[in-house]
Amino acid sequence: MRFEKYFVPETRQECFALLEQYGDKAKVLAGGTDVIQLLKSGALKPEAVIDIRKVEGISETKITDQGLALGAMVRLRELSLNEALATDYPVIMEAAGHVSSMQIRSMATIGGNVCNASPSADAVQGLILMNATAVIESAGGNREIPIAQFFTGPGKTVLKKGELLVGFTIPKPSARTGAFYEKFSIRGDTDITIVGAGASVTLAEDGTVSGAVVSLASVAPTPLRMDAVEKMLVGKKLTPELIDQAAQAASKSVAPITDQRASAGYRVEMVYVWTKSALTKALERAIA
Amino acid sequence: MSNRIDVALTINGRLHNLNVRPDLTLAETLRDELNLTGTKIGCDDSNCGVCTVLLDGMAVKSCAMLVGQADGREITTIEGLETGDGLHPLQQAFIDYFAVQCGFCTPGMILTAKAILDENPKATEEDIREGLHGNLCRCTGYVQIVEAIESVRDGKYGEARA
Ligand SMILES: Cc1cc2nc3c(=O)[nH]c(=O)nc-3n(C[C@H](O)[C@H](O)[C@H](O)COP(=O)(O)OP(=O)(O)OC[C@H]3O[C@@H](n4cnc5c(N)ncnc54)[C@H](O)[C@@H]3O)c2cc1C
Ligand code: FES
Ligand code: FES
Repeated sequence: MRFEKYFVPETRQECFALLEQYGDKAKVLAGGTDVIQLLKSGALKPEAVIDIRKVEGISETKITDQGLALGAMVRLRELSLNEALATDYPVIMEAAGHVSSMQIRSMATIGGNVCNASPSADAVQGLILMNATAVIESAGGNREIPIAQFFTGPGKTVLKKGELLVGFTIPKPSARTGAFYEKFSIRGDTDITIVGAGASVTLAEDGTVSGAVVSLASVAPTPLRMDAVEKMLVGKKLTPELIDQAAQAASKSVAPITDQRASAGYRVEMVYVWTKSALTKALERAIA
Repeated sequence: MSNRIDVALTINGRLHNLNVRPDLTLAETLRDELNLTGTKIGCDDSNCGVCTVLLDGMAVKSCAMLVGQADGREITTIEGLETGDGLHPLQQAFIDYFAVQCGFCTPGMILTAKAILDENPKATEEDIREGLHGNLCRCTGYVQIVEAIESVRDGKYGEARA
């Protein structure tokens, strides 16, 4: 590992000035769990590392009547253990809790999980299921983007030169909402997700679905939100038959790759199995 | 040549002011700059857990952390557990329960165990196993390790379980 300069900016202005000054020669470091491996392997050779842990106002978790505001630097372990989130945002806690081991979660941040842009990222799935919006800031101002549109490819995001992801806003879920994320891997949470499937359903008073999110991990170049499958559910009663049809539709519409963890065909099958399971469990939670 | 940085690390209660290259990991700093070789380096890619230390009381993997990230913080390494009264209860329990074979994973195991029990003195077997998820042992099969930790939880080594 070799780099020349290490900065720990404390104000956003300082941070933006460094991002501006070093451009492609700088690498942002949050928890470092992804970045440091890439620095060690030589895949990244920046001149400067910008450690953002002290940047003002990006490490807080705020719960209001409108919803949840999460700073990009909130550590995954803090998130997974924050009981104040258990009533309205349990899937955010659970998805963060599926990231590797206690040691990794103590360092890793929610912003890092998102900006690393791995299709297998687990904490990202909680944000997608809860309709999070990413808040991006730069010297020039700020912009917001729905989380599912943040990813442009493996390791690639919409972030432009000089921009920092500062956090997320998540609307408070309506009554009768339930969400669940399933991580499927060989060695439990320390292992990379082979297939992840999540579902969130909101029921109207008459019990029909008024809103749904279906999302998948590790089956495409980016985390995937399944708009077409969601449309199949809205306005209908979520019967076991409909859940089965939705899971089949999800399975038919993915084109995953074969890698050392699983074959494409196996992943396609598993999308059916785990989407069905996630929808069933989300429904149970919506009713409870 | 990298620009050096100043870092203040409180390690096992003692403040160390260091002027080091920024591209060192905390594990390298502990071992190579401070000669605290109780902290091991195994995989060096944050999987095996032998480099675990406590950072402000939390278990972290010191191979997956830059020295600058530890600036201003308190670190406990395996060398910091023994007191004037002798071994820490977890250290004694690991010996008594034969939770050690080659011993390479042991410092990381013990510090992770300390983090588990400090946070939850009533940790169940399942909690303990979940907490140890990021620590690999290629010798013991984990059974004795979990038993040793449970014995400390159950007060077999006195109240001072942490
Ligand atoms: C052993 C091991 C096991 C793992 N297992 C899992 C797992 O099971 N599931 C999973 O999802 N992940 C896993 N990971 C990946 C990793 O821990 C997560 O992606 C983590 O959330 C990254 O967060 P971080 O704060 O450490 O990011 P960093 O490593 O600091 O940064 C990651 C990337 O995001 C950029 N970045 C970070 N924050 C910002 C910001 N605010 N603005 C702009 N850019 C930013 C960095 O420049 C870098 O490109 C694992 C990693 C290891 C080492
Ligand atoms: S050496 Fe750090 S986890 Fe293996
Ligand atoms: S005792 Fe040998 S690796 Fe654990």
